[in-house]
Amino acid sequence: MKTAITLNVNGKEYPLEVKANEILLNVLRDRLGLMGTKYGCGIGECGDCTVLLDGKAILSCQSLAFTADGKKITTIEGLEHNGSLHPLQQAFIDEGAVQCGYCTPGMILSAKALLDTKPDPSDQEIKQAIRGNFCRCTGYTNIIRAIKTASEKIKDQGRKQT
Amino acid sequence: MSSTRVISVDFECRIPRKLEEALEALNEEGSQVLAGGTDLLNNIKINAVKPSRLVYVLGIPELEFISVEGGRLIVGAAALLSDIEHNRQVVSRFPALVEAINVIGGTQIRNMATLAGNLCNASPGADTPPILFVLDAEVEICWTNGGTGAQRSRLPVGGFFTGPKKTVLKQGQIVHSVSIPLPPEHSGAAFRRLARVSLDIAKINCAAYIERDGDTVHEARIALGSVAPTPVRAPTIEKALDGRRYGGGLFQEAAELVEEDIAPIDDVRSTAEYRRQIASLLVREALQEAWRRSGGKG
Ligand SMILES: Cc1cc2nc3c(=O)[nH]c(=O)nc-3n(C[C@H](O)[C@H](O)[C@H](O)COP(=O)(O)OP(=O)(O)OC[C@H]3O[C@@H](n4cnc5c(N)ncnc54)[C@H](O)[C@@H]3O)c2cc1C
Ligand code: FES
Ligand code: FES
Repeated sequence: MKTAITLNVNGKEYPLEVKANEILLNVLRDRLGLMGTKYGCGIGECGDCTVLLDGKAILSCQSLAFTADGKKITTIEGLEHNGSLHPLQQAFIDEGAVQCGYCTPGMILSAKALLDTKPDPSDQEIKQAIRGNFCRCTGYTNIIRAIKTASEKIKDQGRKQT
Repeated sequence: MSSTRVISVDFECRIPRKLEEALEALNEEGSQVLAGGTDLLNNIKINAVKPSRLVYVLGIPELEFISVEGGRLIVGAAALLSDIEHNRQVVSRFPALVEAINVIGGTQIRNMATLAGNLCNASPGADTPPILFVLDAEVEICWTNGGTGAQRSRLPVGGFFTGPKKTVLKQGQIVHSVSIPLPPEHSGAAFRRLARVSLDIAKINCAAYIERDGDTVHEARIALGSVAPTPVRAPTIEKALDGRRYGGGLFQEAAELVEEDIAPIDDVRSTAEYRRQIASLLVREALQEAWRRSGGKG
């Protein structure tokens, strides 16, 4: 039996028929072709599959697709705007916060959820926000710095606009 | 086949908008509640459970609330852990509950998971049962016999667990909400846990609650997890503290009695021996912090 749902991914609507046991991660990757969201452990521990659901960081490997019906999903592909990278993406590059890059999409989305609610987080708040995202390469220091840099950049942009 | 990438078992899903609908759908053998899915999906992936129908309860308005009513905090089964830990009433009145929730998984897990799910999963090492035990929480269960509306009953959280992964819930029954009396003045509670790394499930956890009368312990409640088939109270320590004046190593002495109240085993996370040795230290720390929060000096 299939259920008709509509996924709103990065601002675009996708009407789909899904089986009850289809995992959101697989729908994003295999059916919508959005390969930025990664499969790491499949049991909720690594955070590689992190996406935003109505603005909150969740794990797409532990979500059944039907539960996301009608919700707004943001994947890493949704972050660039008119061909320019999101300040977090740029800061990750500039600060050397990317090595193999496998954790990066999930890491950036966790960071985005944080900055969207707390534009000026402390180191402690950053660590707390990315506690569910494992990085096996960088040692986290550059990641934390990149998130700080991005937060400054976003605040600056905000100031210029107002 | 078991895989963490795809789910091979077939089941149907129900997305009820009303509690009554959910309860009816759950009366059928093989039907199971899906809340945040943070435990359930893993169990399905490893074929530990094979439901034929999942009834999704997040999004049912009757279950989606956190409120203070009649002197109690009431948390509906669809309230997310992250909403509970950031709720103003909870933050100001139940700091130890916030601490117990905050150690669960990473941000993503707490954005998905529920308090009711943490109880219903009935892991002996789950982090919220000890604090719910000492805060005298009650679990409200509901079900329907069809046509008569939802039936409800309430029981103390201490009576909810019947074994590892086992609760009193029967087919068709769900946890509707968890309620906790607002703590009186001159009381305090604390939570302590030990895990290998921060994202890990606890090797052992414990919670303490103290009602203070001047410089004496009017009432103490202690509970531990991961030291027995279910979370347990520690009545021996509680009795040893009743009516006693603070000071002179009271908490240390009482905490050392913890061995009377626990029956730990060796498992993947720790050994029985280590748990026995560390339990009294955790209890002592929790008591000290609960005393401090009750306004006690020392
Ligand atoms: C990476 C990771 C880390 C974790 N860390 C911790 C930790 O540190 N401490 C800890 O305690 N837990 C931890 N957990 C376990 C888990 O996140 C919690 O137990 C969570 O609270 C379960 O809630 P849920 O809403 O996701 O439940 P689900 O997975 O949806 O359900 C769990 C079980 O309860 C049943 N159920 C759910 N709600 C109801 C209801 N209202 N009525 C009847 N039955 C119901 C379901 O049918 C299922 O059997 C972790 C899990 C993961 C994946
Ligand atoms: S793949 Fe989802 S948490 Fe690891
Ligand atoms: S950059 Fe390789 S895991 Fe983080």
